[in-house]
Amino acid sequence: MVGTAKGLFVLRGENGKWSIDGPHFAGLAVYSAFFDQRKGRNEMWAAPASWHFGAELCKSTDMGKTWDQPENRRIKMPKTSKKSLENIWQIAPGGDADSLYVGVAPAALFESHDRGATWKLNKGLWSHPHRKKWTPGFGGLCLHTIVAEKDDIKIAISTGGVYQSADGGDSWKVTNTGVKAYFLPDQYPEFGQCVHKIARHPKKKNTYFLQNHHGVYRSRDGATTWQEIEDGLPSNFGFGLTVSDAGSVFIVPLQADGQRFTCEGKLRVFRSRDDGSSWQALEKGLPQKNAYEVILRDAVSSVGNNIFVGTKNGKLFASADDGDSWKMIEGSLPEICCVKAYTL
Amino acid sequence: MSLTVFLSGHLKTFSNGELEVPLNDDFTTVGDALDSLWRRHPALRDRVLNEQGEIRTHVNIFAGTDDVKRLKGLQTRIASGTELHIFNAVSGG
Repeated sequence: MVGTAKGLFVLRGENGKWSIDGPHFAGLAVYSAFFDQRKGRNEMWAAPASWHFGAELCKSTDMGKTWDQPENRRIKMPKTSKKSLENIWQIAPGGDADSLYVGVAPAALFESHDRGATWKLNKGLWSHPHRKKWTPGFGGLCLHTIVAEKDDIKIAISTGGVYQSADGGDSWKVTNTGVKAYFLPDQYPEFGQCVHKIARHPKKKNTYFLQNHHGVYRSRDGATTWQEIEDGLPSNFGFGLTVSDAGSVFIVPLQADGQRFTCEGKLRVFRSRDDGSSWQALEKGLPQKNAYEVILRDAVSSVGNNIFVGTKNGKLFASADDGDSWKMIEGSLPEICCVKAYTL
Repeated sequence: MSLTVFLSGHLKTFSNGELEVPLNDDFTTVGDALDSLWRRHPALRDRVLNEQGEIRTHVNIFAGTDDVKRLKGLQTRIASGTELHIFNAVSGG
């Protein structure tokens, strides 16, 4: 599922050949999508956002042939919040097979425990005393990453940082120790970091990786404290991050905060196979000349050892060998906002 | 009291394809007329108004030729026969 600034595309690959279907929600920006395969369900979720008419959460039960757009939108800020929904940044599986989470701007978490039939604002996070001090970046004040397993939920907010709950979302604690906020007078504050993405190691459950607004980090203690893992990278700035089933970490460094395109005009994906202690530049099949690409926070994705990278210039690259080689499978899509990969 | 609401073509998905909606009801303000419109086409409400019941930033509603955001918003008073127009604003990317 490839969400773009102008709609959702569904690509299917088999034996190296790809077909494409879309755009669904033509003209609308799709920053988040999720394919729910749990309990044998085949339910697609996507969140198209209209400049004019706002964002909504839609579902397809026929593999994208049709999508519902409920009269009464699923995700709405409560009247008492005095806020209105700006965008839906993440749709993620919850800690049990019937739960779903949605992260939105303004930074808030919505939860469903009945397969998406009903939704409610997570009050534990909304009432957190830090919330009113979180501040928006260019993408708004967004809760963009959710990693959940049973009652353990970890989220990331730009700008706010990493928060986590051990009781299914009733209470939340901030866990940004070691993560820098170079844009603040206190560069290691308790919160206020602009964390762009976090991801968990598939086998080492306490090992997490973090792409920061300048900074790449690893945690060995369940995303509580963080250590820099930047040696060997051309830049510590970037957005997207994924970890393959093999445990390889993938990021795409971008040149500095002020430029935000691929370093030296080369699209290089960087891979670490030792939890960030060293990095290899992956170039085979990727443009290495005049390639000034921008890769957004949800446009680096993986399923198994298949890795995908989508760019704001509308190019979609895929690797079927854990990053050793790459192939461009689409070159002229609209700006790619998210890539979500699944095995059927 | 009767009036007609003219909808942007972008909204026809949420009005069963209807772009001119005649309304007959008791209303004195734009908000009253919209409440009547929602009863006929409930899906329009969440698209035109935000959760706080305000006209969305990039949606414009005209009573005749007057942009109601420059008047009293949803509290703008209207007369029978008024034409209400709901447009998406000239914005986007």
